[in-house]
Amino acid sequence: MTVQHHIDFDHLKPEEFEHILPDLFATGDGKVSQDPRLKKFLADNPDCAALVSDLEAIAETARSLFEPVAEPSDRVWQNIQAKLQEDSVLASIDDDYIDPDAPID
Amino acid sequence: MSSQGQMMTQATPSRANLGLFKRNPPIAGEAEAIEAAQKGDAEAFAKLYNLHKRRVYTLCLRMLGNVSEAEDMTQNAFLHLFRKLGSFRGESAFSTWLHRLTVNLVLMQLRKKGLSLVSLEETVNPADDDTPKRDFGSQDQILAGSVDRVTLERAVAALPPGYRMVFVLHDVEGYEHNEIAVMLDCSTGNSKSQLHKARLRLRELLRNPSPPHMSVYPESEQ
Repeated sequence: MTVQHHIDFDHLKPEEFEHILPDLFATGDGKVSQDPRLKKFLADNPDCAALVSDLEAIAETARSLFEPVAEPSDRVWQNIQAKLQEDSVLASIDDDYIDPDAPID
Repeated sequence: MSSQGQMMTQATPSRANLGLFKRNPPIAGEAEAIEAAQKGDAEAFAKLYNLHKRRVYTLCLRMLGNVSEAEDMTQNAFLHLFRKLGSFRGESAFSTWLHRLTVNLVLMQLRKKGLSLVSLEETVNPADDDTPKRDFGSQDQILAGSVDRVTLERAVAALPPGYRMVFVLHDVEGYEHNEIAVMLDCSTGNSKSQLHKARLRLRELLRNPSPPHMSVYPESEQ
């Protein structure tokens, strides 16, 4: 059960709103501005409405950051290749290893 | 396999992963490249690198905050991928699996650098005086409509590491609070609270942006 269950949305105070805001954003689809329980409160408290609007804009724009923006330098792939080559050489040495103490047929 | 290794390669199809699956539609030729690379085909592995290098690097860059460490971590992630590729079973999108592996490697790296479970919590829970002000602002300063990805990227880079981590994992990468709580070894409530504080801090940063000539991510961050 979330803290919202104990809230009287018809008589919500800005301090209470501030307290439950992280939980409001975390539940549902995060669209606090569309929550019908908050319609009157946000209409009566424009500063709270502005805060909600800003935080929603930030969260919405953040989703567009999922697409990559940067590319690693060529050095990264060169290092990966060198390391894999090194591992491969070591593996082949392991494969060729002959136990000097093994009995001779 | 160690429990740590299992954690890095697990591919549980949670709700968030299903969401990421939608955000990670299959890439043409990827399945064949995975199959060939699993059999040791070097060219196929190079193809996987080229398909995913930008996304992995961008994730590392956002979480670590500097170019040099992000490149090292990208290298580490793909070397780890090469060694663990055989354990990929296709239960989630390959890119989701690779992202999870990368995130876990980054978190391990941050812990090695001194962010132990306790100090990580401290980083995620900055002192009260570091907490963003609950500035409700005024309507004439409303950000909506003026936030674009370039300015937001710059602001995210300026976030303290703990805030940045939770914000990137939740708002950018699409992980849910319960998953972040497991990854960061904190409570779900803590994850929600830190995300909210991160957004509040971003709001402050977006209202007072740094000079535009400054690089988003430095070469190295002291």
